[in-house]
Amino acid sequence: MLMPPFELHRPKSVEEACNIAQDLISSGQEFDWIAGGTDLIPNYKWHINTKPHVISLAGIDGVSNISMNEIGCMARLHDISQSGDAHPLLSQAASKVASSLIRRNATLGGNLCLDTRCFWFNQAEEWRSSIDWCHKCDCGTGSDCRVIPNQNELCVATYQGDIAPVLMVLNATAHLIGPNGARSVLLHEFYQLDGMTRNILQPGEFMLKITLPDDVSEWVGSYQKLRVRESWDFPEAGAAAAWKKGDRSTLKVATTALESIPRRHDEEVANSNGDVKEICDAIYKSTKPVNNTALPPRYRRNMIKVLVKRACEE
Amino acid sequence: MSKDYVQQPGSNSDVRVDGKRVAGKLRFNPPGSGGSRPEMAERDMEFIPELQGGNEAQPAGAHSHDKYRTGTTVGKRTPLVDAKAKVTGQAWYGDDVRLANELIGRIVRSPHHHARVKSIDTSKAEALPGVIAVSTGADAPNKFGVLPVTKDEHAMAVEKVRHVGDLVACVAAIDEETAREAASLIEVDYEVLESVHDAKKGLQDVDDPIHWRGKYHIGSTNIQKRVFQEFGDRSNLEDSHASYSGKWKFMGVNHGFTEPHAVVAHWDSNGRLQLYTPQQVPHYAHRALATVLEVPMHQVNVIRTFVGGGFGGKSDPFPHEMCAAILARKAGRPVRITFDREEVFWVNRGRHPSNIEIKMHADDEGKISGLDIDALIDGGGFASFGHVTSYYNGVLATAPYELGSFHYTGARVWTNKPASGAMRGHGAVNTRCALEVGLDDMAEKMQVDPIDLRLANLLPPHSKTITGFRITSNGMRQALERVREGSNWDEKFRKMPLGKGIGIGCGFFISGSGLPIHWDPNNFPHATVHIQIDMDGGVTVHTGAADIGQGSTTAVAQVVAEVLALPLELVHVRSHESDTSPVDLGSYSSRVTFMNANAAISAALDIREKLLDAASEILSTPSEYLILNDRRIYNKRDPAEGISYLDALHKSQEDKGALIASGAYRTPPMGGVHKGAAAGLAPAYSFSAYVAEVEVDVEMGLIKCTDVWAAHDCGKALNPLAVEGQIIGSCHMGLGQVLSEQMVYGRTGHLQNPNLLEYKIPSVHEMPNVTPIIIESCDPEGPFGAKEAGEGPLLPILPAVVNAVYDAIGIRINELPLTPDKVWAAIAKKMKLENIADANDLPTPRLDFSELQEKLLQRSSEHAKRDVLRQRSEDTNPYINGVLFGFDPNIPPEEQDGGWKISVRPDSDQIENLGLAGSAWTKVEQRHMGGEN
Repeated sequence: MLMPPFELHRPKSVEEACNIAQDLISSGQEFDWIAGGTDLIPNYKWHINTKPHVISLAGIDGVSNISMNEIGCMARLHDISQSGDAHPLLSQAASKVASSLIRRNATLGGNLCLDTRCFWFNQAEEWRSSIDWCHKCDCGTGSDCRVIPNQNELCVATYQGDIAPVLMVLNATAHLIGPNGARSVLLHEFYQLDGMTRNILQPGEFMLKITLPDDVSEWVGSYQKLRVRESWDFPEAGAAAAWKKGDRSTLKVATTALESIPRRHDEEVANSNGDVKEICDAIYKSTKPVNNTALPPRYRRNMIKVLVKRACEE
Repeated sequence: MSKDYVQQPGSNSDVRVDGKRVAGKLRFNPPGSGGSRPEMAERDMEFIPELQGGNEAQPAGAHSHDKYRTGTTVGKRTPLVDAKAKVTGQAWYGDDVRLANELIGRIVRSPHHHARVKSIDTSKAEALPGVIAVSTGADAPNKFGVLPVTKDEHAMAVEKVRHVGDLVACVAAIDEETAREAASLIEVDYEVLESVHDAKKGLQDVDDPIHWRGKYHIGSTNIQKRVFQEFGDRSNLEDSHASYSGKWKFMGVNHGFTEPHAVVAHWDSNGRLQLYTPQQVPHYAHRALATVLEVPMHQVNVIRTFVGGGFGGKSDPFPHEMCAAILARKAGRPVRITFDREEVFWVNRGRHPSNIEIKMHADDEGKISGLDIDALIDGGGFASFGHVTSYYNGVLATAPYELGSFHYTGARVWTNKPASGAMRGHGAVNTRCALEVGLDDMAEKMQVDPIDLRLANLLPPHSKTITGFRITSNGMRQALERVREGSNWDEKFRKMPLGKGIGIGCGFFISGSGLPIHWDPNNFPHATVHIQIDMDGGVTVHTGAADIGQGSTTAVAQVVAEVLALPLELVHVRSHESDTSPVDLGSYSSRVTFMNANAAISAALDIREKLLDAASEILSTPSEYLILNDRRIYNKRDPAEGISYLDALHKSQEDKGALIASGAYRTPPMGGVHKGAAAGLAPAYSFSAYVAEVEVDVEMGLIKCTDVWAAHDCGKALNPLAVEGQIIGSCHMGLGQVLSEQMVYGRTGHLQNPNLLEYKIPSVHEMPNVTPIIIESCDPEGPFGAKEAGEGPLLPILPAVVNAVYDAIGIRINELPLTPDKVWAAIAKKMKLENIADANDLPTPRLDFSELQEKLLQRSSEHAKRDVLRQRSEDTNPYINGVLFGFDPNIPPEEQDGGWKISVRPDSDQIENLGLAGSAWTKVEQRHMGGEN
């Protein structure tokens, strides 16, 4: 499998990275960011939405820091999972991502900005040509969505990251930077439909770091992941819950791998008066997975009740 | 100080002892005794059979090879002789072959399920700079296929494409980038045809069948092969005491080997084809290449590279091998083709997706009065091994249990999917799973222990199955007893809490297929081995046996070393090239150790005799008094009177030069005379019994197999280390099929998961603790008593897990794999039916023995005595299937019971009442419809 050729840019600083991005935008050239590469490179090998330029964040100093309240975008998932400094819930979620080999390369920023996935999309070029492509990677054909046919306006590819729901329930803030300056946004507001848009990142912007509230060390909870195998597999459904120790009224619940973005379920929690079963049922009602991952959507949707229940267990 | 040889004299001081290979720092034992050591090593009496005066116990009796045991290597845990090459990365697999001036080949594949190829325009590809050769189906019109009776493949599409990924054209270019671009420039004009994706639809008449067989075509359906077999008396089945009926669905699975297919073709300066390929069956590839390329076989040299896993998936001659050869011939340069993983799935040859219905009956004494199997198997686009698979799905279920009657209808259909073929446990795995679960269910209905039910119904050693297979050694009973004991079965079965369960499953498999496919067994042996020893004393063994990781090279080296009493490092096996290796059928149907080791023993015995003659002459002692041990031949009455191996060798080389011997093996005549009698016929059979323990998350349907006790009867473990490896590996592979692996075809008929992320092979986390238990029943015809251990051990894990899941949650699921969604759906259904609100309140099955249990115990204890006598050949009376039902073994059962049938075609009044696959018999062949073509 050969990737198509691209030019690799290796900035040494955040500023230089933004400048490269700005220059490429100005000259009308497309590019991708690359961090650990464990998501992008397989897609490039399959010739999925490849770009002529790739900007690597690997050479930038000082963006792989790990502490209780701040984690840099280039922090490796392996290091997060092993670190005594990171929040235990985050370490737990990081340890469940893919395999140990992949975690040594994969980064926090890459995982949070993970491309959405779909079994009509994550396929080799020859395979996709045999189904006449799909909406998310239409190769200029204006192709239809293969999951839900006869509508070609919405991509329903599934977000299958493990870290996002955990950071959402810990009230994390994402810090973004780009040619137009820096901005911060609560992580649960970072994601934006549809499966192609994925998040609010503007052209040239990337996620620099994540910060967590000062009292985060007092928060406890758990992340529950549904997968066929205990290694390698993306989540087929995932649920995170966290609350300030001793104060269940602070309970936050978030889910992943059910829709095109991970979601924090503040409304469902608020309307349930702290009754876990009611929370489970409400989230079950409000999520609608589609058939584009390994396990059927009906099952994944039903499992969210079990996963949320187990995540909320004290 | 040792005077052992080293590669580099003077480097003794820092010889590494940590096992790392450092050139020049390796110790070798000196060739020929008497060199550095004043005395030879002592005979290892622990590995010499007790009946030959040694200490090795022989509970199963004597073997004709016992007297050639020298205590050298047989029975000892021996690391594979090619292990170092593999772990140090020096083994050369298909894609490791690099020849000067090589080109990269790339295949153009069909984007359609079923289409007529109207025209192919290669002009743009040919015009691309860097493209050296382009080829299409027009260059190779000759058909080929692994079985001579079903040659239905072309190198590239000649008229039609039959599945997405089917080969249409190929290109060779200076590099991969150019080759890929050239492939994308080839324009193919297709007329898309209606496609068939469901095996059931394959039974129907269609306008455009996937293949056309002329006058032998069955109707205008896609039925490739149909089988009917009926044996025994089925008249009383309606009154059976207990019965089981189950409709099963098995998804297709792929071998999932590590190494994707790769091939290098090169026409050398003399115009001969040198083809490098990781093949399990180089000889069939050799034949097919000659046919397709229209060159004589002697102008083709097939070089088998190391094989990075085969499991049946590298045993067909493949179209890409033809493509590489065609491109190389056109280009005048070597061409290498290496597959992407998607291409591996498109060429497939994995286990058939199957719809299997099993009906079983037991009488009031707990005897199995009837076994009915109906198996519809989905062959995909080509025949491959399917002709054989169609039989195996039935006939390999006829043991280890004695049956009152057997009824089988099987059909294999073509569909527009990648071709199914042979995969570890070929044809036996799916029906075995259904059958063993059926037995578990009948035991439940009769309120008896399922292990005792099995023990009371076993065919004994040296008996015949209902369809006439000759059973020789049979360690089934010991296997069952050992796993029962090892797993603490009696304390656990039907006694564990909800979510924990234990289950039993058995297996039965051929140890080598009885008939060579390509020639008359009476004229030519199955396996031939040549041995050559020159003055240096090193033994070169030439064999065509393809080591695909199973350790066949080691097995051959071991038996030669054993007979000649030489250290293993003096034996060098050469097995890669068809130019030098004798013709061998290859690595399939678990035949290699059985047949090749037998051929090797026979050749080694020839050499042994020559050495003994020479020693006898030098020592003036009759050769029957001489003993071979550790490079020395001596008088057993006075060990001081002896000569070195080298002295004897040099004496026997006088006037002749190198010692050369050829040995061969062929199966004895056996089996019935009915149509299909040869399918499933083997010179020996392996038996196995597994107990699996599982944990089920009842809320989510997730199954975790925690422990497996795996007993396998391999006759005699030539190398216990390798046998245990095969058992553990089989557990892993079988667990994949039972828990997570499946080839998923989506709404549009496309294979939805042709990659190793979504095709879910269990990871190390899913592996249970496996306790391998080796049973040695000492097969009279096996080399030193050995039988197969490569495929049979896969069979029992599937039903053992399914039965354990039932023990855990009280639900039987007849659809594999048992993915969590299916298990959860079954739990949810049961909760709804029985009005259970919480999954944690599900009832678990419990067992209260009926009166029958005591009867079974009594019968099995009588049979146990019978079996010991028969195993040790102390009782040599004939035994046929049916004796348990009161038949006289000396008279054919059909002469004793008017209702006993032997039939291989359905009667006209039966045809309408056959099962799903059986409905294939309602169709009429073209020749009987007045159709000529």
